[in-house]
Amino acid sequence: MSFGYSRRRGGGRLLLRYVLASAVTVIFLFPVYWLFMISFKTADEIYHVPPVWYPSQLQLGSYLVLFRDGDVLAILNSFIVAGVSSLLAMIFGTFCAYSLARFRTGGEHLAMWIISQRMIPPIAIVFPIFLIYVHFGWVDTYFGLILLYTAFNLPYVIWMMRGYIADIPLELEESALVDGCTRWQTLWKVVFPMARSGLMATAVFTFVFAWNDFIFALILTRTEVITFPVQLTHYFGGQSNFWSKIAAMSVLGTLPIFVAVTIMQRYLVRGISLGAVKG
Amino acid sequence: MADVRIAGLQKYYGAVHALKGIDLHVGEGEFAIFVGPSGCGKSTLLRTIAGLEQLDGGTIAIGGQIVNDMRPRDRNIAMVFQNYALYPYLTVYDNVAFGLRARKVVEPEIKRRVDEAAAMLGIGPLLQRYPRQLSGGQRQRVAIGRAIVRQAQLFLFDEPLSNLDAKLRDEMRGEIKRLHREIATTMIYVTHDQVEAMTLADKIVLLRDGRIEQLGAPLDLFERPATGFVAGFLGSPSINLIPARLVARGNGAAIALATGETLALPPGRTEALAGKAERQVILGIRPQHISRAIGGKMPSGVARVSAKADLIQPTGTRTFVTSHVGGVAVTVELGAHDVGAQGSAVDYAVDLNRSILIDPETDKVL
Amino acid sequence: MNTRPALAQRISVASDRGFKYLMIAPAILILLLVGIFPLVYSLVVSFQNITMTEVDTSFAGALNYVQLFKDSRLWESLLHTALITMVALPLELVFGFLLAQLFLERFPGRQIFVALLVLPTVISPIVAGATWRLMFDVRFGPIGQILSFFAGEPVNILWTVNPSFVYPAIVVCEVWQWTPFMFLLLLAALSNVDQSQLEAAEIDGASYWRVLRQIVIPAITPVIAVAVLIRGLDLVRIFDIIWALTEGGPGSMTETISLYAYVIGFVQFDTSYTAAVAFLVIVILTAIVTIALRRMEMVR
Repeated sequence: MSFGYSRRRGGGRLLLRYVLASAVTVIFLFPVYWLFMISFKTADEIYHVPPVWYPSQLQLGSYLVLFRDGDVLAILNSFIVAGVSSLLAMIFGTFCAYSLARFRTGGEHLAMWIISQRMIPPIAIVFPIFLIYVHFGWVDTYFGLILLYTAFNLPYVIWMMRGYIADIPLELEESALVDGCTRWQTLWKVVFPMARSGLMATAVFTFVFAWNDFIFALILTRTEVITFPVQLTHYFGGQSNFWSKIAAMSVLGTLPIFVAVTIMQRYLVRGISLGAVKG
Repeated sequence: MADVRIAGLQKYYGAVHALKGIDLHVGEGEFAIFVGPSGCGKSTLLRTIAGLEQLDGGTIAIGGQIVNDMRPRDRNIAMVFQNYALYPYLTVYDNVAFGLRARKVVEPEIKRRVDEAAAMLGIGPLLQRYPRQLSGGQRQRVAIGRAIVRQAQLFLFDEPLSNLDAKLRDEMRGEIKRLHREIATTMIYVTHDQVEAMTLADKIVLLRDGRIEQLGAPLDLFERPATGFVAGFLGSPSINLIPARLVARGNGAAIALATGETLALPPGRTEALAGKAERQVILGIRPQHISRAIGGKMPSGVARVSAKADLIQPTGTRTFVTSHVGGVAVTVELGAHDVGAQGSAVDYAVDLNRSILIDPETDKVL
Repeated sequence: MNTRPALAQRISVASDRGFKYLMIAPAILILLLVGIFPLVYSLVVSFQNITMTEVDTSFAGALNYVQLFKDSRLWESLLHTALITMVALPLELVFGFLLAQLFLERFPGRQIFVALLVLPTVISPIVAGATWRLMFDVRFGPIGQILSFFAGEPVNILWTVNPSFVYPAIVVCEVWQWTPFMFLLLLAALSNVDQSQLEAAEIDGASYWRVLRQIVIPAITPVIAVAVLIRGLDLVRIFDIIWALTEGGPGSMTETISLYAYVIGFVQFDTSYTAAVAFLVIVILTAIVTIALRRMEMVR
């Protein structure tokens, strides 16, 4: 092995690399494969000993059950809650990030305080929030969950967008100011177009975080705005599980994420490392 | 068109005193160049005129109107930035039109002005391209085009040529000079390159450490520097500075070098120096004002000095020779074939009529 | 002039000052509302004595905080959390580094492999837990089948119930999901190592281990620090995976601090005591972050 992009490359070494890479990938993706396959199996195939490794044909029965029983509403709820809260977090967060990046508003302290907000464990704040929500009647409402996810994602958006905005050459904005733009116009005509890919990547990750959350949704929803991870846990049983429902719901809750992240592949490293590593 | 009048300008960055009382007038249609070493405050001064920096004291007036508290967009200025500041997501046409659209100029008028500027700069065929598809020189032209279409009352240039290679820089320098002749707008231009300053300026403003060291026409500064700093900054290769002592010699005065040679000063210089004998001075003499000594008799004010050619650097047209004179390395500019082999002895004729004497304590030219 | 002055001083006009505060106002307001207010609220509650049956809002002193020290289930849950973190985090780091080594050199199709390997990390942790719940199932899951194949005899392990196997099950799921995270970050860090340094070392004839120790590790240490901090904080508040796999069981054997807080808060409704536990968690995490950030500054 070497640490560089070595140019010495024997055919045998390359083959070994492919074998290893394939083996690792198969191991890591096997659980995902298993999950997807179960969702397409018939009940007989699911509950077969020994397990069958692939379905005889792609059965959509498991999904039809979810649609028939209205369980897919959980997916819809997830879309609404994650979508709206991401949008709000992006709007408020980006403006705040611009102020922090360009005017150093509040200095380093404010920026550090904001990112430290993200490090607070959900369990530590969700309990008092629950009590407040009960008081105001916000439990199990879209408003309650959206507000919470917006707040939860704000530090991330501010932190990330601050980095992306700092990467924009200041001269572009100064040139616009001299050329006759107001601060506000500069934002729309220069900063947002320049930060477009950063905005999109951050929005996707914000969406993913809200989409994947379990603990807030578990505590703050009952029946009305239940999101898919909570719905999923309803299929767990002490002795037996609703295998087909678990699998189908998991697939529905995973595919959008796979698609979004694959599109945003280039920004993945920066997105998950809180901007510390610029891939 | 407008003049710029700056009075008592002060600027701080926290504890750093960046501009320490600048008084300056740039006349209508004048081409002024701010020049000086890194950190002298020249860019800060320009950015303060543009309104991109807030000033901490004094006044700036453009066209007779005080602009201290005016936003950049209201000052009716155009600015060309060092890195061109082109918007990568806009075509060349949209880049050039950007400032006009921000000011709500109607589209037909925008088109007319963009086409006019494009023709002037020879970027017509590039209008539909994006900045990344352009070479450095082309980007520079687009950046200038964006300033021209604005028809602003004042043009500001912030080291516009420093990112170009040497050949392109010479070409664009000529281009900017031509541009100023054609549109005749007041221009202020910042550079650290003394060649740009000398060739372009009507007026050079040489800054040092937040103050104006000297200002005037390029040749004025070159030939009559007020201080050793100015003398050292302008000219290439830079002026030779030789520590020496002023001595009396008969009626006149002479300069004694550390190595013992004595060079007689021309008669015209001696009165001014009367009574200053025995004081330490620095002799400033430009490489161009030392030549090969030919024949035995030297003209008045020219001294003969023997030395060795330690290092010879031919450039093709001229040859630079380094020798030790008065204990320091001195550069001499000679004709291409004026000197023999490295290490050979050579007699120089030092033209003291063109020399300056600097007070080593105050840096002032005597 | 090349020295770029502080941005804050580049604002020229008074209207900009209003502009900059106007822009941060909504975000800061929301953060204060949802971030600070609950903390203050629970600090107050933690000094009262509110339980499911009794709403006693009088000042109870340090009652709840004293109880923290007597609560053996609390300390066990902290121990469980520490145990999972101590085992899973190094494993993720080592596997991530090995994977990054494997994919560091460019070869055709590399990007596809990387894109596929990333997928476990972006899945919802609750889905990851559910997936492994199915994988580990004693009768219909493939894990038992695979183990039986290698053992040559039927292997029947109740992974999520048997006390000897619950922790391995949790760690397997956790490591599976987050190794790709470490892998991605380390791959980026390794790719950014200065190539000229590596080439110089190669010319000097330095051995593999020497290059690793003296060039590669120092170069990627900042990234390792960030990755360990992010993952460490996630692990300390681990909840979803365990909820999906064991729900803290058998008994309270795999109960972590987050699960315990959930139980006393939302099962036992011991309001004031939960607030005190929440505060303990925040104190612990603040300590970890402070120490970590200080260490990281030393590394830089």
